[in-house]
Amino acid sequence: MLSRSLYQPPSGRFDEAVAEDGSTRPTWSSVGAALGNMRPADLLDHQRQADRLLEAEGAGHLVHELMPESSGAGEPGFVDSRPWRLDPVPLVIGHDEFRTLSRAVVQRARMLEMLLADLYGERRLVRLGVVPPRLLFSLGSLRTAMAPRAAARWLVHYAVDLVRIADGSWRVVQDLTDAPSGAGYAMLNRSVMARVMPDAMRLAGVAPVNTFAAVMRRALAAQAPPGRKSPRTVVLTGGPSHSTYVEHSYLAVQMGFHLAEGGDLVVRKNRVWLRVLDGVEPVDVIYRRLEDARLDPMDTGAGGGGAGVPAITWAAQSGGVALANAFGAGVAEERSLASFLPAAAQALLGEGLDLHALSTDDVLATAPCVSASSYGALVPGTAVLRLHLAVTPDGTTVMEGGVGRVLAPGDDPAAPTTLLAKDVWVVGGVAAGKINVRAPSQHHPQVDFGSSVPKRAADALYWLGRAAERAEVAARTTRVVGAQVQQDPSLLTVGGGGWAAGAVALLRSAQALPIVVDETAITDIGVSPAPFADRLDHELRGGQHAVANQIAALAQEATTVREFLSTTTGRVLGRLTRIRADLLTAKAAPDDLDTVLVDLAALAGLSMESTVRGPAWRFLDLARRLERAISLLGSVQAALGLAVEPLAFQPLTESLLSVNESLVAYRRRYRSDVELGAVLDLLVHDDANPRSLAFSLDRLREHMASLAWQEGADLVQQASLGALGSIDDTVSSGRRLSVDSMVLATRGPLLELGNAVVRRWFADPVNPMVMGAS
Amino acid sequence: MTTRFTVVHRTEYLYGRQMSDGYTVAHLLPRDTPTQRVLSAEVHVTPDADELEEHTDLFGNRVVRIGVHRLHDHLGVTGRCVVDVDAAPAEITLETSTAWDDVVGRLEQARGDRATDIAPFTAPTAATPSIAALDELSGDLFRPGEGIVDLIRSLTERIHREFVFDTEFSDVSTPIAAVCAARRGVCQDFAHVMIACLRARGLAARYVSGYIETEPPPGEVKLTGSDASHAWVSVWVPELGWLDADPTNDQVPPQRHLTVGWGRDYFDVTPVRGVVIGPTAMQWLSVGVDVTSEEVD
Repeated sequence: MLSRSLYQPPSGRFDEAVAEDGSTRPTWSSVGAALGNMRPADLLDHQRQADRLLEAEGAGHLVHELMPESSGAGEPGFVDSRPWRLDPVPLVIGHDEFRTLSRAVVQRARMLEMLLADLYGERRLVRLGVVPPRLLFSLGSLRTAMAPRAAARWLVHYAVDLVRIADGSWRVVQDLTDAPSGAGYAMLNRSVMARVMPDAMRLAGVAPVNTFAAVMRRALAAQAPPGRKSPRTVVLTGGPSHSTYVEHSYLAVQMGFHLAEGGDLVVRKNRVWLRVLDGVEPVDVIYRRLEDARLDPMDTGAGGGGAGVPAITWAAQSGGVALANAFGAGVAEERSLASFLPAAAQALLGEGLDLHALSTDDVLATAPCVSASSYGALVPGTAVLRLHLAVTPDGTTVMEGGVGRVLAPGDDPAAPTTLLAKDVWVVGGVAAGKINVRAPSQHHPQVDFGSSVPKRAADALYWLGRAAERAEVAARTTRVVGAQVQQDPSLLTVGGGGWAAGAVALLRSAQALPIVVDETAITDIGVSPAPFADRLDHELRGGQHAVANQIAALAQEATTVREFLSTTTGRVLGRLTRIRADLLTAKAAPDDLDTVLVDLAALAGLSMESTVRGPAWRFLDLARRLERAISLLGSVQAALGLAVEPLAFQPLTESLLSVNESLVAYRRRYRSDVELGAVLDLLVHDDANPRSLAFSLDRLREHMASLAWQEGADLVQQASLGALGSIDDTVSSGRRLSVDSMVLATRGPLLELGNAVVRRWFADPVNPMVMGAS
Repeated sequence: MTTRFTVVHRTEYLYGRQMSDGYTVAHLLPRDTPTQRVLSAEVHVTPDADELEEHTDLFGNRVVRIGVHRLHDHLGVTGRCVVDVDAAPAEITLETSTAWDDVVGRLEQARGDRATDIAPFTAPTAATPSIAALDELSGDLFRPGEGIVDLIRSLTERIHREFVFDTEFSDVSTPIAAVCAARRGVCQDFAHVMIACLRARGLAARYVSGYIETEPPPGEVKLTGSDASHAWVSVWVPELGWLDADPTNDQVPPQRHLTVGWGRDYFDVTPVRGVVIGPTAMQWLSVGVDVTSEEVD
């Protein structure tokens, strides 16, 4: 029961949970019971749990608001993210009422489909004077190029915003016919609620929403142009900067389709092609999440900001590809047309609309809400309900659930300003107490792109791999050197400052900075440890910042390829992003770096264990191996290229081994003091040591063979030959020349391999440029 | 009197680097009208086009879509046509015509074909918005009861008198507010201004894209490419249908005019526009139009 002390709705208007007589409505009984046992603090805890779970899905933090350090500006530009929050109290609707509502939504979708067919076809509504031509033709969303050959179906996915008013009836806030958002959020929110309110959900018998992904799949497959036996579908997004990108990526995963950005697609011969690693593959159906004003720069000019696909509407018009929804469908959601819809329904359907439009003097109904500002108390608020409908070959299906967006006082119901959402529970249709597992997967006519991977995704995975490895090198080096000097401050002066000079070089190498050490600093040693302490401190801070920057780069690349990464990977990334903020503060605890190292190891493990060994994985792994080989060479040059005094040699070499996670292996194998030849053997030549150069080169060699790429294989071979250079103790100007020349001969081909990968596999001229008009 | 025009319209793009795909839409093929007959018309593309399709747009214009899918650092699109045009009388001889406010009433009540074919041209567009400056420019001409033909004549004359032809002032994206403020622009600006004046009052006006044959200065030889694409206005008059008016030259076309097509504004009938896919690069555009004519009878 919802006691009066817990929640008191205003009198005189409909409340979702509490009836006029003060009793809890039957549909709310299980939720009411769950809430009855909770104090405000519990509700706040639930909300925080929801925050964390959303964050793991990448939904809490919008990663595109997280900019890597701007060059030279000094302080990294970290923008606070604006996560949306989930109210732990759902919006509950009884099954019978939902059925009535669904019928009205289906009627509306049917009418809008006919409206679009008419506006782009014979225009009976204009001829009859139902829709004024002066208004219609001033709408930018009326796509005049579409008229001569109209789409076979305009709406495949339709959504509508509804709100309940004081007398308990529902009103329409707005129709969404272009690229309606929210279906993915509904599924995402549900997966979170299932963990936040498991008992209430089980008791209530809540209808599942995740089955909608399979429904959309069938709906899209049915749109394929005639004769395409195994239609290939992609989800078209505007990219990570798009306001609902998180949902695009989530939907792509749920439906098992590739997520494509505009640049991934190209139109040739009135067909649409996906750019994959080794060419292009045809696409039959496009589930576009990109608004139609940004879809085709050929039709709508330069306004799309480069997000669209030139001539995609030509391909759609000539039947080469199906767009869902059709280009031009957005005109049906124009609010200036809304007042003509009842008359249009009469003319087109011969019947009135079951759902009426919200009028400005309607008073809205209330529902219990928990918001951050209510400190966990239940307060009356109003939620706008968005329902989704998909048109499949065997009819139309309304998702049994949706997203309720809570309004702030004074909000336009069509554009809520709060970022607070409610899960929508339809109860009473499913046996209570039954846990709704995912519906058994149905037979899908779709054949996927097999082992193909969009070129852009392979590109992002490659840089993701490199950034992950760089982050790890910077974190481990900073951690190792920092811990060493903390445990034994006398290291700063040992061997005339030789250890300190080498440590500075190691730290600089880990930040990908030139390692040449300031000569005057070396001569200062022995007098006082202070100059080196300062210098080392500076580089340790730099190392920390490098970790933060690489995490930002990593997160940014990961955002664009979430569909290739597991949810667990998403959680690890979420945690890394949070630690990143600490790393940017003046002094992070060594524990933070430990956590980073653990998370990065988890990430590496996940990429090995949870990624299918297709081309996507190959480029991720290739990048890690390449970066590891390059970093190892850098650290070898930093520590061993410098000819330090014998007293410094021992601790410096131990630092080098630790930085490359090989100190334990060294001690096990040699059980002796460190010795140059043995160290190089373990780090460079030992192909049984997974941290060695030889090991990395072996993996690179395998990747080149799988890609059947001769140029790459040749460069790996050159690097292998370079690594054979013999090492002796000839010293000139304080440097071991043989180390420098071995590193040079090996690293050169590897750096070139990095360039060659980009040139051969990723470089593609894909920036659409609008030509001047004559 | 009928004149046979031959028009060659060359558009040449040069890119600083090789482009992989190019998409172009051309409104270069003229359509038949009550006063003109198209004898031949074709579009030629270099390098060879991988796709070249003719379509008809919503307004009945002939549209050519061109796709080039090979590396290319230049694109040439040339339209060539031969058209017979009957000259219009220099003055419209109509004793009386319907009052303009009457025409507005008829358009508001339009049903059937008139609602689908004519009334759409009463809608202001992004390029022809209803702005306050229009009233200042022409408010006094819209006297209640004024005949529509007289109104068109005086509005054409007003814009011709008030505005300075200046090829340096505007480009295709200059809003009419700026054109009105500076009282400068080119033919498409003047057409947009006049259309906006008429639509703001509820009249139906079309943007007409075409060519005009120019005369060299006395004693000089006509230079190749010195002609130009031209734009003017067409206004719906119940008794006559569509009546053309050229505010740039204060004329009633066709005098030396040849129509290619029409739409709501420039953006419906841009002669050549497109998008290329390729690396970031410079681009250069050059356009040349040659109109030659002979009297046929």
